Amino acid sequence: MKRLGFNQKEKTRTMNKIKLLFTAIVMLLVIHVSAKDYYVSDFGAKADGITVNTRTIQGAIDYISEHGGGRLVFGPGNYVTGSIYVKSDVTLHLEYGATILGSTNPFDYVKDPKVKWMSMIFAINQENIGITGKGTINGRGFITANNMMNYIHRGVYKDPLKLDRPNETNRPENIYFRECTNVRITDITLRDPASWNQTYDQCKNLYVDGIYVDSKSYWNNDGIDIVDCDGVILKNSYFDAADDVLCFKSHDANSICQNVVVENCVGRSSANGLKFGTVSRGGFRNFKIKNITIFDTFRSAITFAAVDGGIIENIEVDSVRSINTGNVIFLRIGDRWSKGKKPSMKNITISNVYAEVPIGKPDVGYNYEGPIEDNPRNISPASIVGLPEYRIQDVKLKNIEIVYPGAGNPLYAYRGTSPAELDSIPEMREKYPEFSQWKELPAWGFYVRHADGVEFENVKLVAEKKDYRPSIVIDDVKGATFDNVEFVEPESKGKEQIIQNKSTNVVIK
Amino acid sequence: MKLKSIILSLALLCFTGVFAKDYNASIFGIKSNGTTLNTTSIQKAIDLIHEEGGGHLNFYVGRYLTGTIELKSDVHIILHEGAILVGSTNIYDYNIETPNTALVYAKNADNISITGLGVIDGQGRDVAYSLLDQVHKGIINDQLKYDRPANRRPKGIYFRECRNVEISGITIKNTAEWVQVYDQCENLKIDKITVDSKAFWNNDGLDIVDCKDVLLTNSFIDSSDDAICFKSHDATKMCENVEVRNCVARSSASGIKFGTVTRGGYKNFKIINNKVYDTYRSAIAIQTPDGGVIENILIDSLNVYNTGNAIFLRIGERWAKNGVGSMNNITIQNVYAEIPATKPDAGYPYEGPIEDLPRNISPASIVGLPGHDITNVTLRNIEIVYPGGSNKTYAYRGIKPADLDGIPEMPDRYPEYSQWKELPAWGFYVRHAKNLTFENVTLTAKEKEYRPAIVFDDVKGATLKDMEYNFPGSGKKLFKYKSTEIIQK
Amino acid sequence: MKKYKIFIFSLLIIFSLNLSAKDYKASLFGVKSDGTTLNTGSIQYAIDYISENGGGRLVFYVGRYLTGSFYLKPNVTVQLEEGAVLVGFHSVYDYFEVNGTKALILADTVENIGITGKGVIEGNGHAVLKSIEEQIGKGYLDAGQLPAKPALINFNACSNVTLDEIILRDACGDVQVYSRCKKVKINNITVESTSLPDSKGIVISGCNGFTLSDSYFETSGTELSSNNTSKDVSVSGAVNSKGKKIKAAK
Repeated sequence: MKRLGFNQKEKTRTMNKIKLLFTAIVMLLVIHVSAKDYYVSDFGAKADGITVNTRTIQGAIDYISEHGGGRLVFGPGNYVTGSIYVKSDVTLHLEYGATILGSTNPFDYVKDPKVKWMSMIFAINQENIGITGKGTINGRGFITANNMMNYIHRGVYKDPLKLDRPNETNRPENIYFRECTNVRITDITLRDPASWNQTYDQCKNLYVDGIYVDSKSYWNNDGIDIVDCDGVILKNSYFDAADDVLCFKSHDANSICQNVVVENCVGRSSANGLKFGTVSRGGFRNFKIKNITIFDTFRSAITFAAVDGGIIENIEVDSVRSINTGNVIFLRIGDRWSKGKKPSMKNITISNVYAEVPIGKPDVGYNYEGPIEDNPRNISPASIVGLPEYRIQDVKLKNIEIVYPGAGNPLYAYRGTSPAELDSIPEMREKYPEFSQWKELPAWGFYVRHADGVEFENVKLVAEKKDYRPSIVIDDVKGATFDNVEFVEPESKGKEQIIQNKSTNVVIK
Repeated sequence: MKLKSIILSLALLCFTGVFAKDYNASIFGIKSNGTTLNTTSIQKAIDLIHEEGGGHLNFYVGRYLTGTIELKSDVHIILHEGAILVGSTNIYDYNIETPNTALVYAKNADNISITGLGVIDGQGRDVAYSLLDQVHKGIINDQLKYDRPANRRPKGIYFRECRNVEISGITIKNTAEWVQVYDQCENLKIDKITVDSKAFWNNDGLDIVDCKDVLLTNSFIDSSDDAICFKSHDATKMCENVEVRNCVARSSASGIKFGTVTRGGYKNFKIINNKVYDTYRSAIAIQTPDGGVIENILIDSLNVYNTGNAIFLRIGERWAKNGVGSMNNITIQNVYAEIPATKPDAGYPYEGPIEDLPRNISPASIVGLPGHDITNVTLRNIEIVYPGGSNKTYAYRGIKPADLDGIPEMPDRYPEYSQWKELPAWGFYVRHAKNLTFENVTLTAKEKEYRPAIVFDDVKGATLKDMEYNFPGSGKKLFKYKSTEIIQK
Repeated sequence: MKKYKIFIFSLLIIFSLNLSAKDYKASLFGVKSDGTTLNTGSIQYAIDYISENGGGRLVFYVGRYLTGSFYLKPNVTVQLEEGAVLVGFHSVYDYFEVNGTKALILADTVENIGITGKGVIEGNGHAVLKSIEEQIGKGYLDAGQLPAKPALINFNACSNVTLDEIILRDACGDVQVYSRCKKVKINNITVESTSLPDSKGIVISGCNGFTLSDSYFETSGTELSSNNTSKDVSVSGAVNSKGKKIKAAK
C-alpha cells in the first residue's frame, strides 16, 4: 500500500512551482496593460475583407516592436492577411467584431525555415507577446487547403498527397509560436485553420484564458497544441476540433512539456479530448488538470501516450465530465520512435470522473468525423497498457463512475479471458496508439496490462445491458488495489467481474 | 406593322398566361437555403410543368443553388422579389459538353419566359476559376486563349431557336462568359431588366444573334464586355426587325455593337433614346467583317458620356467566305457625345485593354475597304466633344499623301476604332465611303490639335451642311484626299 | 567542311532552343487578372518556381494585375502581353527595398532577367505617395523615407538585363534605377511619369554596358540621369515629349 502512494515531497514541489508560475504570469499581465495602443487602420490596413494586408500589418508590428512595444489594435471589420510575424513586446488586440481572415491563396503564406511549417501568425524567439480581445481569427482553411491541393495537382507545388490531402506542414495553422517567452492568448475566437489550429512550441510562460476555438474545417484541425512548453496556464476555454482538442506534445527528445495547469475547459473532438502525444519524445511532467468537460468525442476523453521514448510523470487530473465520448481513459506506453530512449509513465492520479460512453458514434454529424476502424469490436473498455519491460507505474483512480452501454456480443467480436486468449493479445508496441488498436478487448470496463501499482478507489462501473465480458481484466499487473469498486450490470448475478492473469499483490476490498 | 403583330402576339401570350397553372418551387423539393444543389429538382419541375401543358414555376425569396437547367415550351419561371437563382461554382454542374453551355438553357422551346423582380447570379468568376483549375490539371482540354478558358464557360441564359420569349424585370449578374444569348429566336421581348456583369472576361451584357422581331426596352446593362450586342453567326440568317428603346449601357468594350461575328447581317433596326456612359471603346459600333449585309439602321437620340469613341462604322474582310459584306442606309441622329482624355472605364473590374499604342485620342470613323464603300450614311444633329491635346512626338500621322496612303487597310483584323493606332483627324476619319450627309454636326476639341477635324479619304459624294467646329488655334477643319463631289453648304 | 558547319549550326539551334526557355501562364500560379486580387504572393512564388526549374518567361495576358514588390530571379523574364497591366499596390508597406531604394520590381545580384512585351507597368504613384505621407504624418515613417519613394524598377548588381517594348507609367519615385549592373539593354520602351514631380526616367550608376534605344520619355524629372560612374553607355533614338533627343551624360 505504501509504495502505491504518491511521493508527497514531489507533489509539494510541483505545487510550489505552479504557484510561482501564477505569480509570474500575473506580473506579466500588469506589464502588458501599461503598453501603448496603435490602431492597425492607422497604418493603412483595410478591413474590407478583400485587401490582403500582410505587409501593412507586418510594418505595423515592426514599428511597434522597435518603438517600445504596445498593442496593435484591430477595430471591427475583416482584415485579410497572409503570414505575419509577431515581434517582442507586441500584442495583437482584436476588438469585438474584428476578424483576421486568412488569405485563401497558399502562396500568401510562408513555410518558416526554422519550424518548417506554414502559419498565418508566427512568432519565433520573441518575448512579451500576445493575442487578445474578443475578436476572431478565421483561417478560412478549407478553401486554402483545397487551393493548395490544386497547385499540387498542377505540379507547381511538391507534396506526396498522403491520404489525398496536403501534408499538414504545407497548410497554414492560425498561430505558430516557437521559443517565445511570456505569451498571452486571451478572449479570442479561433476558427477554421487549414492544419492544426495553434501551436506553442518550446515557449515559456504561456497564458491562455477564455478563448473559443472552432476547428473543424479540414483534416488535422487540432484544437490547441502545446509542445515542449514550460510554465503553462490554460483555462476557461472552449474547444471544438476535428482532430485532438487539448493536445500536449513533445517533439524534442531534449525538451519536455512541464509545469502545466489546465482548468475549466470544455472540449469536443473527432479524435481525443485531453491528449499527451502522439509525438512524445521528451515527455510531460508536473501537470495539474482540473475541471474539464469532454463531450461528443470520437476517441478518448483522456489519452496519455508515451510512445516515442519520453516520460510522463506527476500528472494530476481532477474533476472530469466525459459525456457521449467513445472512451474515457487510455494510458499507453509504446515503443514507436523511441530511438533507444526508455519511455516511462508514473504517478498519475485521476479523480472525480463521471463518464458516459454511448453505443453509437459519438461524433456523428460533425465535419470531418473520426474514421470507422479497428472493427469488428464491441464497445472498448478504458485501458492502461504498458509494455512488458516499460511498465506504467503508480496510477490512482479515485471517485470514478463510468456508464457503458454494455451489450458486447460474442458473435460479432469475441475475446475470452483464458490465459491463452489474454496472452494472444498482441503488444503492438510500434503501432500508433489508440484505445481501439487491439480491436476486441476482453473486458467492458477496464483493461490493465503491464502495470505496477494500480489503485482503484471508489469506482463504479455500469453496463446498461448485459455484456459477455467481465468488467475488469488485469494482466501482468504487480500490485493492484480495488477499494470500494462497484459493478452494475443486468443479469450478472454471480458473474466474476475482475479477472486476473499473471498478476501479483492484488487486493480487493 | 411588324411591331403591331409582336405586341398582339405578346398580348395573346399574356392572356394564355392567365390560365396557366402555378407551381411553387418547394413542391418539387427545391430548397431556398443557398447550399442545396437543386439542379435535378428544378429540371424535374420544368419537365413536369412542360408535360402537364405549361404553367408558372414560382421562386419566392431565397437563394436557389443550381447547375444547368433546360427550359421547355410553355414553362414560365417567375423569380419573385428576393429570389436568387445562384449558379453552382462547380464547372461539372453545367452542360459543358453542349456548345453554348449555360445556367439556363433552352433549345427549340416556344412560349417561355423568365420574369419577376428576382435575380440570376452566375457566380461566374468562381465558375471560371473552377474550369481554369481543371484545365491546369489537365482534366479538361482547352488552349487557354489569353490565359482564360476559351470554351465551356457557362453563359447566364442561352436560348436557341425559341419563339415567343419574354425576359422581364429580372436582374442578371456575374456570369462566367456572355450574360445572355438569344440565338435564332423569334418574337423576343426584353423589358426592364438589369444586367450587372463584370465577373470575368467576355461578360457581354446582351447578345442577340440572328433573331427576328425583337423589342428591348427600359433596361440597364453594365457589363465588362460589349453591353448591347447584335451578332450574326449564320451566313444564311440575319438579325432583323429590332427595336431598342430607353436603355442605358456601360461597358469596358463597346456600348451598342453590331458584330463582331457578322456572317448574315442586320436589317431594319430602330435604336431610339438610349444612353452610353463610362464605356471604354465605341458608344455605337456597326461593323461587318464577316460578309454580312447591314441595311436600314436608325440610331436616334443617343447620349454618350465619358466614352472612348462615339461612332465606328466598318467594313472588313475577316471571315467573309462568300464575299465582302455591305453597309447601306445608316442614319444616326440627335447624338451628344463627350470623349475624355483619360481611360473611361478606369476602376471598373476587368477594364478594357490598353492597346494599339502609341496613339492620341482617336476620332470617330467610317471606314470601308477599297471597292467596298460604306454607302448612304446620314449624320444629323450631332455634337461630339473631344479633349484634344494630341502630341505629335508621342504619335504622329500627317496628311501628306504618303501619310494617308500609309494607313493600312487591315481588312482581316478584328475591327476596333483604335486598330490603326494614330489616325490623321481628331473628329472624323472617313475612308472608302459613298454618299454621306453631315448635317448640323458640331465637333469640339478642348485643347490644341495638330490634326485636322475631319479627313475624307476616297469619299465619293458627301454633303456637309451647318457644320460647326470649335477648337483652339488655327487647325484645319476638313481635309479631302482622293475624294469627289464634296459639297459644303 | 560543309557538314561540319551544318553540325555546328544544328548544335547552335539546339543550344538556342534550350535558351529560349519555357513559358508559364500566370494563371497556373493562381495569379488573377481581376484588378482587385493582390497577387504578390503568387507572382513571387511563380518567379521562384520558374527560376528553380531552369528559367523561362512568366506571361501575363490582358488584364490588371495588382501586386506589391517582387524580386526577379535568375533566368526569369516577365512577359507582359499587350493589354496586360501590372498595377502597383497603394500601401507603402508593400514595397521592399534594395540598396536603399524601394521598387515594385526588384532584382539583386541576379543575371539574365527581363521585362518584355507591349504591356504596362503602372506605379499608381499618387496613391502610394498618399500612403507614404499619411504614415509620415502619423509618425510611423521617418520623414527621411520620403526621398525613397518606390520606383517601378530597381535592379542592383545584375547582369544581362533586357527591357523591351514595355510601357512604364506613373511612378511614385523614379521610374527605373540600375546600379552596378552589367549589360543592360533597353529598347523601344515608353515612359510616362508626370503626375508627381521629379520622377526620373532612368537613373544609372556604376553600370558597365548600358544601351538605350528607340524609346519615348515623358517624365517630370530628367529622362536619363547618370552620375558619370557608368561605363560604355550608349543612347540612340530616344526622345522626350517635346521631340528632344535624349543623350547619354558623359
